[in-house]
Amino acid sequence: MSELPPSSPREHLSKASTRHTLLIQNAIIDATRQHLTAQGFTELLPPIIGPVTDPGGRGSKQVDVDFYGHRYKLMTSAILYKQASLTAFDKIFYLAPNVRLEPLETCNTNRHLAEFHQIDVEIGGATREDAMAVVEGIIVNAVRRVLTTNAADLAALGRDTTPFTELLEWPFDRITHPQAVANLRDLGYEQSPDAEIDWQNEQHLSAKASRPFFITDYPKGSRGFYDRENLDDLGRLRNFDVIAAEGYGELCSGSEREYDYKRIVARIRESGENPAKYGWYLEMARDGIPASSGFGIGLERLTRYVAGLTSVWQASAYPKVPGVVSA
Amino acid sequence: MSALHAPGFPEARIRDRARFGTASVFPAADGYGHTLFGADGATAPADEIDAMRLVPPVFMPLRLEKLIDLAREPMYGDVDLTTEIGGFRSSLPVYVSAFGSTQVASTDLGIAVSRQAGRLGLPMVIGENVVPVNGYGRIGTGTEKSLVGRVRAYAEAATGGLGGVVVQQSTEDADAEVWNLVYSDPTATALLETGRLAFELKVGQGAKPGLGGMTVLSESAADRLSGQFALDRVLGDGDRLLRCASPGTFTEEILRQQIRFMRNNFPRVQVWVKLHPGRDIADAADVAWRAGADAVTVDGAEGGTGWAPTAFLDHVGLPLAECLRRLRPVPKLGSLLTSGRMWEGTRVVKALALGASAAGLGRAALLAADTDPEHGLTRLTEALALELRLLISALGKYATSALDPEDVWSPTMTVPQRQESLI
Repeated sequence: MSELPPSSPREHLSKASTRHTLLIQNAIIDATRQHLTAQGFTELLPPIIGPVTDPGGRGSKQVDVDFYGHRYKLMTSAILYKQASLTAFDKIFYLAPNVRLEPLETCNTNRHLAEFHQIDVEIGGATREDAMAVVEGIIVNAVRRVLTTNAADLAALGRDTTPFTELLEWPFDRITHPQAVANLRDLGYEQSPDAEIDWQNEQHLSAKASRPFFITDYPKGSRGFYDRENLDDLGRLRNFDVIAAEGYGELCSGSEREYDYKRIVARIRESGENPAKYGWYLEMARDGIPASSGFGIGLERLTRYVAGLTSVWQASAYPKVPGVVSA
Repeated sequence: MSALHAPGFPEARIRDRARFGTASVFPAADGYGHTLFGADGATAPADEIDAMRLVPPVFMPLRLEKLIDLAREPMYGDVDLTTEIGGFRSSLPVYVSAFGSTQVASTDLGIAVSRQAGRLGLPMVIGENVVPVNGYGRIGTGTEKSLVGRVRAYAEAATGGLGGVVVQQSTEDADAEVWNLVYSDPTATALLETGRLAFELKVGQGAKPGLGGMTVLSESAADRLSGQFALDRVLGDGDRLLRCASPGTFTEEILRQQIRFMRNNFPRVQVWVKLHPGRDIADAADVAWRAGADAVTVDGAEGGTGWAPTAFLDHVGLPLAECLRRLRPVPKLGSLLTSGRMWEGTRVVKALALGASAAGLGRAALLAADTDPEHGLTRLTEALALELRLLISALGKYATSALDPEDVWSPTMTVPQRQESLI
């Protein structure tokens, strides 16, 4: 059983370790904003509620909001709005709050929060490889900034920074999902070839890595309908995850997007839903939305990795651990 | 006992079993000694399965095996009825089918059935539309009839480690995120941790193949649901409206990916798929099993507790016997579950002999609980268990998995020719 956050916000916020961590997080946010703005990205303020949100996966529940008698949702991710935003700007990003009522079993993974933030990026006309290059840039730039300006915070937290020497030599390694499954089986772990990499297995792969790496080409049925299917390799998605080194696990998910109306409707059905609930989005898609690629980096997860924290809740000022009643 | 009726179903005999249990497996005992008993030739069979006969052989090698095992002559009590059903262990080759949000089930009967099914160690399916129609019950009051009430009643009674709860979801339920709700709810934790929770993807149902769920609602209830379901004023001028769920669109790829999505998103539950008796039932079951379904339920056209147009009840969908015949060549990669007019032993044993792993009690479970909310289902099940033991042992077998097609004879089935001797 991993340690849970203090029940008192005062106790958590007044800890020196919390302060060091939040200063590191602040440097990551500042570095990322500067980095993306310099590359021509426009920062938009993300939506908080909407009639529909990312259906997500792995059993997390959405939060319903009574919007004048209509059932709205808190954003589990603003993916659909990111695609819509490309009708105004070619390259956008959010620092977006998300709420997901994750299954109770995730309270012990050290890397799930019911409320968290994403560095959410969408790039019109971009390929998966373009998006992967942007992810690498953000992570490397953030680590470089923290090493430069927050050395004292890292030292106070006891973070060994030697692994970052290798991280700064990008690009990151990349393996496909089938290769990851084969590697895990070679290590003696069970892993379905048709599903997301299990949490424990992600950790096993992460623990063997000395710097972050990409896993690409997840199988259809493991991700949301918006991850684009590879038409030259049906059943595989043009997507990726970034897995941190040293056992810290997943940091980011991204993909080329489905943007063809007919394909989006079919993919929504394959995920078991009635397309009717995606009314505004499908209307836009029918009129045409740009091809794009994008991703979301878990800000608290990235902070946890850079700061070398045991649990992701330590990287939140007001942590909400799944199933744990808190302030 | 309420005003619940099941026309066309042997309601009186089921209520009899719910009252008298095992005694009702036999003619009235007080007639013994002065009544001459024999087959009742007057009752016409309801379908092909009812028309079949169970045919015990004279020579019984499996009885010899059992005799050697026991070192005494086996009796019917030696039949082991425990069965694997879609990833659960069940005390009988029987589970309780979904009866959804139909008005008859949304009273306290749902809770009464749950409690008894849990105590008996029988898997129980909770139907679609329970959440949209009755509420979930996590936050709010007065929702004991809702899904969480049924899950809790079952889990509290199911102390023996057998059975499990199966939560159904159809296309409209996906809006209410029924599976996500259950998967992240503390009420389900005990079942999840013991591997006794399953989710069932409802593709269709026997009573109205090709259509979605239908219920009759009052004006006030209809107002509440108008955003979620199609409502049709086709039931005359009264206060009653027809509520229709969409049937959902399926292709091979959609079914395959929906099952993989379930496996991916809910790795700790068993995955069940309920199919209507479509003409491509064999292909659909094959896709479902290959995609990783632990159980495929085939609801014969004889099935159904709910509301359906009369045209569908009498004329649409394959009978269960034909479904089982078409499924025979398909490699069975998981359990094959059947429902439709199940309430007594012979039909269950015939279904098992024709390839089913277990049979579902739908209307029968409701009627039994309606007759006696505390003990009705228990007595019906005890009678059924006794009958199963009598029948299976008569066939010279002592496990449900040993049954096969040679155990049934059909007046309409081609008799296999004896192999010519090669000598």
